[in-house]
Amino acid sequence: MSISAPLQRPFVHSGGTGAMIRLALVNLVLSVVTLSLWRFWGKTRVRRQLWGGTTAWADPVEYIGTGKELFIGFLLVLFVIYLPIVGGLAWAQVLVAAGDPLGGLVMSVLYLLTVLLVAVGLYRARRYQMSRTRWRGIRGGQTGSGWGYALRSLLVWIAVPLSLGWAWPWGEMWLARYRFNNTTFGDRRFTCDATASGLYGRFLLVWISGLLFALVAAFLAWGAAEVARGSGLSEARVGFLFTMALAVLAVIILVLPWAWYRAGFYRNLAAGIRFEGSRFAADAGAWRLMRLVAGNMVISLFSLGTLRPWASLRTFRYACAIIGVEGEPDFAAVHRSADTGPKTGEGLIAVLDGAGEF
Amino acid sequence: MNGIAADRPGRFSDGRSAAVRKVVVRVLATGLEIRGADGFLIAVWKTGDLIADGNWAEKRGVRLRCASEPDARLAIEDAYVIRDVLPQPPSPPRRKRHALVLACLLGAGVLAGLLLGLAPGSRLLAHLVPVGLERQWGQSIATGLEGQMKACEGRDGLRVLDALARRLAEPLPAERRQVSIHVLRSKDINALALPGGEIILFSGLLAKAEGPDELAGVLAHELTHIGQRHVTAAMIRALGVGVFATMITGDASGLVASGLGAALAGAYSREDESAADMGALSLLEAAGIGSEGLAQFFRRLEIMEGQQGQLLAWLGTHPESGSRAAAVEARRRPEPHLPALSDADWQAVKRVCSKPKP
Repeated sequence: MSISAPLQRPFVHSGGTGAMIRLALVNLVLSVVTLSLWRFWGKTRVRRQLWGGTTAWADPVEYIGTGKELFIGFLLVLFVIYLPIVGGLAWAQVLVAAGDPLGGLVMSVLYLLTVLLVAVGLYRARRYQMSRTRWRGIRGGQTGSGWGYALRSLLVWIAVPLSLGWAWPWGEMWLARYRFNNTTFGDRRFTCDATASGLYGRFLLVWISGLLFALVAAFLAWGAAEVARGSGLSEARVGFLFTMALAVLAVIILVLPWAWYRAGFYRNLAAGIRFEGSRFAADAGAWRLMRLVAGNMVISLFSLGTLRPWASLRTFRYACAIIGVEGEPDFAAVHRSADTGPKTGEGLIAVLDGAGEF
Repeated sequence: MNGIAADRPGRFSDGRSAAVRKVVVRVLATGLEIRGADGFLIAVWKTGDLIADGNWAEKRGVRLRCASEPDARLAIEDAYVIRDVLPQPPSPPRRKRHALVLACLLGAGVLAGLLLGLAPGSRLLAHLVPVGLERQWGQSIATGLEGQMKACEGRDGLRVLDALARRLAEPLPAERRQVSIHVLRSKDINALALPGGEIILFSGLLAKAEGPDELAGVLAHELTHIGQRHVTAAMIRALGVGVFATMITGDASGLVASGLGAALAGAYSREDESAADMGALSLLEAAGIGSEGLAQFFRRLEIMEGQQGQLLAWLGTHPESGSRAAAVEARRRPEPHLPALSDADWQAVKRVCSKPKP
């Protein structure tokens, strides 16, 4: 590590947009026909295309998960976790209606549990995806515990409002470190020592623009109330105009600082990741990142989510284009691991969250 | 000997480590011989075991796998020679269609289960709910309603109503017979049955009723709801629809669930109303009151429906009044009947909402 190796860009994505949009449309039709049950198999096909279009050091990445695994994972969570929670909530409703203070307690415990389960599910979904990713015949993987991750997330969620937002860069990076320090490829582990230092300058701008936005929004709200009282305009119309003005303002005031911060975050994170003697890098810039995110939002919104695979494809292309590696990791030292990962996948997040990214 | 002509450079990873090495691939009649650059034999892949793994676009090559060594990967440059030499061009694994068939069958099965099993299932479950719990729940709803709208407290009137309800409830199962009647101040011409044994009458209905027989008809109708546990069954049904919809679509936001719930609730509730009309007939006959009043009440509702929006409460979830009247009249038996209430009692009921004299 004493000599800084030249920076390579080993990741290339060659998947075509047309093929992905066709797949998304076929999936849409099949989902309609099957009351949406096709989505597990459809998602798997999309992932095969996303993973399969990626090459690293000239060898293709493979996705080896199956729709059946996703479906069984979904069913398991449905019956073991979702239905008991719904039953518990119904019982709590009855208790609340009967004026029993226990009802409120049961309900808040169940809500907290659900929120934690979403975090557990996100972590476990990542474990499933890593374990179904293969390159040169070697599987990826993820160690660590979903509950450990969920409790850390909870801590961050509590710390952020208490610190008026200032805990966010630290918390976000802390969670990312936990994810990457637990990421494996074969029998070797990634390490991540990225910190939030150097990010607080960018975050200050986000924070100030957030404050500015809040002030302007408050002023607008006051103005809207005055207008509604003074003129004959109906309340609904004024409310609509107010919301539209707020949205435009958010784009103007908040989005660029936020993109600048996110780009810095990705740079910091990638620079902290190492694997077998090589350091990663990400050439993330605010302007390109903003275009990516805005484009993806437009695609998802205007297609009502049906063209989300296209958005995912753009994300993959972007990641392949910006990720660099200093030198080539010592792949000869990486052997296959005995851990084959979970048997089923992503049930928690499929049930509790519904919308997955890919 | 075509072996020499088919010696091709390639890349090979053995699936035990993530290293890749340059190899020379020789095509034999029986399969592929893979040798290192130093000439040592690394592997022999039989023709029958070869699996196509896509193209190696930048080198005009193919990628191959071997069924007996599933983790190993081979890529061969300039593969047009090899394509000619291989006895059968290796075909990609055939796409399986059974996932789609399975998804279709599951979708159809779930839909059929929902349509056929929901109503009987929820009725069955409703009878498993402990009476005490149901009663507690109903009482708390009644208390809530009394808090929102003013309750009428004319003692004589309420006593008469209780006695009439008890007389009508005679044929019901013992634990369903304890009903209590609340009269609330509201212009709506409506009555509600709550879980357990609470019946809510709106003062609008008492004002519009033209005689004790009509009132008895409405009471008998609500008593049947209570006797057959319609409200509890409807709650279970709504919960069931919500859970099912979320189950199938994985949409935890509840958008699909509430939409479907509203669509089905109307249909099932009309079914319940018709059942309650028929039940009311037998209760009225058993009490010797006769169904004349109920039919008359529906006839008058039908006329009022033509005029007023106030009756929407009855319309959305209830069958059309004209057809209800016809159904009741069809079952009417020409028997002499007893009056539902004496004149004095009827006057007491009519006065239930007027201020008690000092």
